[in-house]
Order: sequence, then structure tokens, then C-alpha cells
Amino acid sequence: MLTEQLLSIGLNHFLTISAILFGLGMFAVMTRKNAIVILMGVELILNAANINFLTFSKYNGGMDGVMFSLFVIVLAAAEAAVALAIVINIFKTFKTVDVSRVDTMKE
Amino acid sequence: MMHSLIQLSIAVLLLPLLSFVVLIFFNRRLPRMGDFIGLGLVGTAFGCALTIFWQVVVQHYDPAFRLAWDFTWLDFGNVPGVGPLQVKMGIVIDNLTAIMLAMVTLISTLVHLYSTGYMHGDPKYGRFFAYLGIFTFSMIGIVLSDNLFSIYMFWELVGLSSYLLIGFYFYKDSAADAQKKAFLTNRVGDIGMWLGILILYSQYHTFGYQEIYEHIKNGDFHMSQAWLTAAGVLLFMGCVGKSAQFPLHVWLPDAMEGPTPVSALIHAATMVAAGVYFVARIFVLLTPEAQQVIAFVGAFTAFMSATIAITQHDIKRVLAYSTVSQLGYMVLGMGVGSYSAALFHLLTHAFFKACLFLGSGAIIHAMHHEQDMRWMGGLYKKMPWTFVTFSIATLALAGLPLTSGFLSKDAILAGALGFAQVEGGGIYYLVPALGFAAAVMTAFYMGRQVWLVFFGESRTHLKPAEDHGHDAHAAHASHGHDDHGHEDHGHHEVHEVPWNMRFPLVLLATLSVFIVFSPDPLDGGKGWFMHLVQTPATVVASTEAAHEGANLSVPEAGKLLAEAHTDTQHVETAPAAHAEAASTEGEGHGPVYADPRQAEIAHMTHANHWNAIKLSSLMLLAGIGMAFIVYVFRIIDPDKTAQNIRPLYLYSFNKWYWDEIYDATIIKGSMLISKILAWFDANIVDGIVNGVATIFRKFAFFNGGVDKYVVDGMVNFTAFTVQTTGAVLRKIQTGKVQTYLVMVVVAVLGYFAFYIAQLIK
Repeated sequence: MLTEQLLSIGLNHFLTISAILFGLGMFAVMTRKNAIVILMGVELILNAANINFLTFSKYNGGMDGVMFSLFVIVLAAAEAAVALAIVINIFKTFKTVDVSRVDTMKE
Repeated sequence: MMHSLIQLSIAVLLLPLLSFVVLIFFNRRLPRMGDFIGLGLVGTAFGCALTIFWQVVVQHYDPAFRLAWDFTWLDFGNVPGVGPLQVKMGIVIDNLTAIMLAMVTLISTLVHLYSTGYMHGDPKYGRFFAYLGIFTFSMIGIVLSDNLFSIYMFWELVGLSSYLLIGFYFYKDSAADAQKKAFLTNRVGDIGMWLGILILYSQYHTFGYQEIYEHIKNGDFHMSQAWLTAAGVLLFMGCVGKSAQFPLHVWLPDAMEGPTPVSALIHAATMVAAGVYFVARIFVLLTPEAQQVIAFVGAFTAFMSATIAITQHDIKRVLAYSTVSQLGYMVLGMGVGSYSAALFHLLTHAFFKACLFLGSGAIIHAMHHEQDMRWMGGLYKKMPWTFVTFSIATLALAGLPLTSGFLSKDAILAGALGFAQVEGGGIYYLVPALGFAAAVMTAFYMGRQVWLVFFGESRTHLKPAEDHGHDAHAAHASHGHDDHGHEDHGHHEVHEVPWNMRFPLVLLATLSVFIVFSPDPLDGGKGWFMHLVQTPATVVASTEAAHEGANLSVPEAGKLLAEAHTDTQHVETAPAAHAEAASTEGEGHGPVYADPRQAEIAHMTHANHWNAIKLSSLMLLAGIGMAFIVYVFRIIDPDKTAQNIRPLYLYSFNKWYWDEIYDATIIKGSMLISKILAWFDANIVDGIVNGVATIFRKFAFFNGGVDKYVVDGMVNFTAFTVQTTGAVLRKIQTGKVQTYLVMVVVAVLGYFAFYIAQLIK
């Protein structure tokens, strides 16, 4: 039963995982105040997208999705580097990484 | 090209103006305060005037001489409702102008010379000469004017200069009052004159004398004859004001507050005569009715002011009333149609009255500003020059044969007799009767004056002390007025005036002798003046009444002639025949008149010549005899007589109470009207205005409410809405990326929900 269940893992399961992962990432981005945690949420969202790419790649039988996800991973690394640099600059300026207090644009 | 005489006359006009301009601005910076400039410029003007006189009177010697020049001064084009409006300025020179020019500039020059002595030491010495300059300018303007508009302008200018000079000692209340009185009284007459000018202007759209007379002659007058009479009488009103005729005579005696040279120049010789001159200029348009009005006004004025002059104490006031009386003679002469006699009297009177005033000025100067004749006396030894000249002028004024005054006054009285006969006797005999009565009184009061001033013992010490102190104080207060360097002399020391005051006296007295004007001491008609200035033919068509009057009077006139007039050649000639005879005889009897009334009057005047001589000589003797009886022989004591006829005496002494009557009627009346009008203004007019204002206030208040609650409410509501919306929307804009992200997610989810709902449906 379980194996059958395991063997019957299909497209929907991957997509569900990806959706859950996206939701968690989104939730982190929307609710956390710490900029680092938000960046982590962004990583989750990107990886949810990667799962989607790979899934559709597997079921479509092409290598496009794999290539895309590789680029996404590279980009995510670059993005993380840039974002962390920004966070460091924010910290230098505001002496905090709490994004709710970085609201000078409001004025 | 202008005629050289016109150019000269412009020079005569402008030189005194130049004197005024220079002196009014620079008198303090000039040596002697610039009196030599005033004297020099006016003297030059006199030289020019004398040249004109020489060329016109001596060289041409033509009664018809006339020279005119004009230019368009203002052109308003075609004024709506009025028509073409052009104002011309111009100069006319005829014999009368030439004679008047010479007379005015001569007397002005002499008065300038005299003033260098009389006004010496006055703090406003320079300004005095400036005022004399502008007066001379305006007077010459009147003389030269060729139209009603410019004569009116100069008319007002002489009024102004008279005002300035009467009030020369303006720190004295009496002088300030007198100048106001003179100006206002003159305004009354001037209004009438202006209305008269407007009547003529409304008919002919021109101000020029000549053009107006041409029009009237051609019968262009579209209104009734009564309007022409009205125009004549209204124009005469200007003369009534300026020449101090009854009922506007009251200003002239008060005008004696001015310095004495001014009295001589303005209020005796020239300005007051301007009224008569003006009547002469408009003489031809006067209807017989207007002439009768003028004759009666003149006769009454002559009589009334002569009665007043008898009782006055002030030496200048006697002369002032005498001037009014003599002006009355001139106006009477104009009224009765003795045009040339009236102008002749104007000329002779100017000389002898100026002489009298300057003589009285010399006396006042020598007496240290004592003007009351009661405290004078015995001056003939101390002031022989003044005495002789003053006496000659007095005799001329009284009308003694051999003097100029006799010639002219006699001519007027003859005219008055002729007029009365032509008009048909009755009430018209009042005119000559009043004239002769005035002649008696003239002789009497002038005799009284000469006796009181020059003969008897000096009565200076009789003057009441407190009065004297007051006067000395007043003289001291008006410092400069008395500041003539006599202070160190004793008060009683009286001596002859210096040469610059004596010379004008001598010259003017010389001009008061008959030989200057006529070779025959008994007939001015043989002189050059009567030859050159002849009655112009009237342009007014003679009315039926005038014809009838002339016809009716013929037999009566003939009868009178037969009775009274046996020694001339015209006894048996009827008027028409006389006119023919005159035309064949040529000179000496004036022109031949187309108008029967004028011819009649001219004839009767001539016929009455000897009557007038006899009567007036009789009157003269009566008057002087009375003066001798009363003052020299003391047969009748003047003071006791005055007590005996006290009401009459007071009536005369108080000047017929004219001032009081005017005060009680016109002045009080004007005040009452003013008060009524002020009440009307304060209650009715202001009430209406305030009522309207209240209504507007109420409306504005309401309007304000609407504005405040409705309009402002809408504006505020809009603002409020926007503000509230803004406040709500503002909450969304948190500035936090996360919030926006939430919104994006919600929106996307919302869209999905909507999409799915659509799909399910």
C-alpha cells in the first residue's frame, strides 16, 4: 500500500511540495522582520520554482527545466551575495536589520 | 503780417505782465526790491501806448479809424450739442482803445512813481509793484479785447488783482473783510455778465463783438426782442458790479482799505471805469428798454452816493463815494445815449480823480496815516503843492467852467435832458433831475472836504486821546505801513511830500484843465475827443414804441426848444431837418443816425447844451455857496444842523443803511437758505443715502451668509472629503515592502478566486 502509494508519486505531489515550499517562503517574506530571514524566504521561493522546473522537465522529457534551474541556482547565489551586501549597508546606516524600521520612504 | 500798431499794442499788453512775473519771483533778490523794473517796464508800455496814441489820434484823426487782428485760440471742433466751438482771441484798436491805452498806462506809470514814495519802507514793497503789474496787464487786456470771451477773462483778472491789492494789508481784519466783500460782490455782477454772454453765444456761436453786431444788424436774432433787452441788461450787470453801481456799490467804499495809490489807480481811474468801457463796447446792441434801465440805475447811483459823501469823515471815503457818484454819471450818460459824453467823462474823471486820490494819499502820508478829516485842517501852508493840485482836481470834479470835468459832466447832463424830452418827459425827468441834484451835492461835499483839510486851524490836537492811542497802536501793529522814517519827527510836524509823489499830482492836475481836451472852455463837443469818439449807430432795429415816442415828442421838443434855447441856430429846425443840417455842416455834431431815436436824442442833446451849462453852473454855485456858508462863514453851524435833521444825517452817515439792509436780507437770507439746505442735506439726502446703505448692508449681510454657509460649505466639504479619503488611503502607504507584497498576494489570490468562480460558472 505504502509502496504503491510511493510508486504512485506523480506530478501532483511534486507540485504540491513546490506550492507548500512557495507558501512557506512567501510567508517568511511577508511576516518576518529580520532582513536575513526574508532573504531566506526568498531562497525558499526560488527553490520552489526550481522544483517546478525540474518536475515539468522530468514529465516533459526535456532538459530545458534542468538548465533553467541551474541558472536559477547560480542567480540565487549571486542574488544572495548582492542582497547580503545590501543588508550590511542597511545595518551600517540604520544600526538594525529590522525592515519595519527601514521606512524612510514613507515620509 | 501784423500791423505795426498791433505789435506795439501787444508789447503794451505784455510788458506789465513781464514786470509782474519778474517782481513776484525775484523782488527780494533785486536792489530796491525791483521797483525800478516795475516803473521801467510800465513806463516803456506807456511809451508804446503814447506812440499808438500819436499815430491813431494825432496822425489819423479819423472817427472811423479801426484796426483789428485776431487768431483762433482754441478750436474744439464740432462739439456735440453745441455745434462748432471756436474761441478766438484778438485785438481791436480804434480811437477809444488808443485813448484808453494811453490813459491807463499813464496813470499806472504815475502811480508806480508815486508808490516809490508812498510805499517806501513797506516790507512787501516788491510784491506791491508786482500786483500793480498784473493789474495793469489785465486792465490793458480789457481795453484791447475784441470779443466777449477774452474781455470776461481779463475782467476776472482785474477782479483778482483788485482783490489782492485791497487786501494788501491782509493782517488787518477790515482789509481782509473788504477784499472778500469786493470779490464776492463783483461775482454777483459777473454771473449776470456771463449769462448775457451766453445768451448772445447761444444765438451766434461767436464771441466777437463785430460778428455779433453784424448778426443782430441782419436781424438774425431768433428770439424775441425781450431777450435782446435781457442780454443787454445782463451784460450791464457786469458793469454794475465792476463800476460799483447801485445795488452792488457797497464794495467800493470798503475797498479804500487798500493802499492809497491802489485806490487812485484801480478804484478811481481805471478798473471801476472798465464797467463803463464795457457798456461802451456793447452799446450798439442795447435796446431802448435796456438803455432806460441803465439810465435810471446810473442816475440813482449818482444821487445816492453823493448824499452819502456829504457826511463821511474819512477823507478817502468821501472820495470813494464821489467816485461811485461820478461812475453813476458815466452810466447815466451811457443809458441816455450820450455815448461819447460818458466816455469823455470817464477820461477826464480818471485824471482828476486819480489826482484827488493821490493828493489824499499825500495828505495821509504827511499826517502819519491820519485819515479822519475832523482832525486835519490848515494844511495849505504846509503842503502848497498838494493844496494847489488837489484844488484844481476838486474844481474839475465839481464841474467848474475852465476845467475838464465841466466839459464832460455838462455833456452828460445835456444828454440826460435830451433823453428826458425824447422819452416824453414825466418820470424820465427824474434822470436829469437826479443828475443835477448830485451835481449840487458834489460841489458841496468837495467844498467841505477842501475846507476841512486845507483851511482853518489844525485840529490834530482835538482828536480824542484814547482813539488816538488806539490808532497809533494800530499803525504800529501794522509796522511798515507807518515805517517811513518820520518817527523821530514830532507828531504834529507836517511837511510837503517828496518830488516823486508831487510830480504825478502836478501832471494829473494839468490834465484836468479844459485846454487839453477842447479849445472852447464851455463846449466839449468842439474838442478832439468828441470828434474821435462818436456814438456808434445802434444795430437794434427800432421798435414801434420808439418810433411813436420820437414822433410824439417832436412838437413838445420844439416847444421846449423855443422856450429855453434861443441862442443857437437850431431853434426852428425839426429833428429830421437837424439831422440833414448836421450832415451838411459836417463836423462838430456827430454822425447822422439812421435810427430815429438816436437822431432824436442827439438832436435834443445838442439843443439842450446851453440849458445844461446854465443849470449846472447854477448847481455848482449853489453847492459851493452852501459849502462856503456852512464851513467858511459859519452862518449855519454844521454840527447843529446835523442835530436838527438827525434822522436824515444818520441816514446819510450810515450810507442809507445799505450794508445793514443787505445783511438783514441777502446775507441773512442766504444763511437761512444755507441752513435749510444743510437740514435738507443732513436729513433728506443723507437719509436717502443712509437708507440705501442700510438696504445694501442688509443684502450684503444675507449675501455674506450665503457665501459663508453655502459656497464656503461646498468648498469646505470638498476639502473635507478629499482630506478624509486621503487620511484613509494614507494608511495603506506604510512604506514597508512587505505590506505591498501582502497586497499583491491578496490581489492575485482575489483574481484567482474570481477567475475560478467564473470558470465554475
